[in-house]
Amino acid sequence: MRSRSARGFLIVALLGAAFGSVQAQDPRIGNRLDAPTRKALSALVDSAKAQGIPVEPLIEKVYQGLAMGADGPRIVTAVRSLTIEMANAQRELGTVATADELKAAASAVHAGVPPVELGKMKKQSGLRRSLTLPFTVLADIVSRGVPVGAAANAIRSLVGAGARDRDISEFQRNVQVDIEKGAQPQAAVETRAKGAVTTTPAARPEKREQE
Amino acid sequence: MADWGRTTLELLVQELQAPVRLDESFDRRVMVRVRRLYAERRPRGVAGWIAAAVNVTRRPAYAAALAAGVVAIATVGMLRSRPTSVAISGPIPVQFVLVAPEARSVAVVGDFNNWGLGDTALVAENHNGVWSVSAPVPAGVHRYAFLVNGEKWVADPTAPRAAGDDFGQPSSALVVEATAE
Repeated sequence: MRSRSARGFLIVALLGAAFGSVQAQDPRIGNRLDAPTRKALSALVDSAKAQGIPVEPLIEKVYQGLAMGADGPRIVTAVRSLTIEMANAQRELGTVATADELKAAASAVHAGVPPVELGKMKKQSGLRRSLTLPFTVLADIVSRGVPVGAAANAIRSLVGAGARDRDISEFQRNVQVDIEKGAQPQAAVETRAKGAVTTTPAARPEKREQE
Repeated sequence: MADWGRTTLELLVQELQAPVRLDESFDRRVMVRVRRLYAERRPRGVAGWIAAAVNVTRRPAYAAALAAGVVAIATVGMLRSRPTSVAISGPIPVQFVLVAPEARSVAVVGDFNNWGLGDTALVAENHNGVWSVSAPVPAGVHRYAFLVNGEKWVADPTAPRAAGDDFGQPSSALVVEATAE
């Protein structure tokens, strides 16, 4: 927790240096951002702060853009999209969602998953279950061509059956291999989800009873 | 005078300290009487239950204990509702591997090292075309990518894709679980 707090403090300091009117700039950003870009990013960060959205993912997006050689307007567009996606996700997930959950949820929203689907999963899973990995896998399988409805159903069934993160990771790897081997994405997801649900801790006692 | 006083005092103390002999049925009779009085005053049914609850709140010690219990339950509930707040979220070693026999150099950059800005990229070692590097990564969800030969962006083929190539380059997602202690 201490390292996280320190990191948060560092991020805030970097934000001030990078986007503020202060002349001292983050050496990693240097002169790569022009004044209009800095101004636009500063406004987006202020807006995020006002909405209670974590700003760390936004600054990471700026770094990613700079590393990948994107120009100012493109970076601003990406940061603006991320801010909107995180705000939409937060509206559905509520204030109980962690920063990591919001970041992963924003990826899923970016992939095309309606935020309301994510809210349903959060309600179903309860407060204690972190949905960072399930949301990450949901974003992955949608980006591999699985229809949003089928992907959301699969993840919801896994989470509902008490699948652990390692079960969901294994499910993702299996789906990826199936698709890479030429399987139809929806068929791969539905088949693998069916199999994964039967091996979850919640399913095992039923299996024993049937035996 | 002093002797008289001490003797008298000792006698008084001795008298007061001497056990009082009571009738053997005394305790039983007292308790029967107490129970009867309590039964007469206590309302029955729901009214009795409510009266008991009200009685508790009227006693400072019980009220304090009740308040402390409520606070404790609420605190435990709040802590449990945020898994990351009770977990230790220190950096956890992660190995990144990319098979690239033709590559001259491979680096790993991502959210965890500010995307390599400021010479923070993780430089992978070549083992006959299998490039790998291990590094401590903070718990959380991260985007990252391999940078091959300093110019080509490659997503990790063994990891989930990070949705949205905002900058026209692929990237991957990594979820590092916090270790509970």
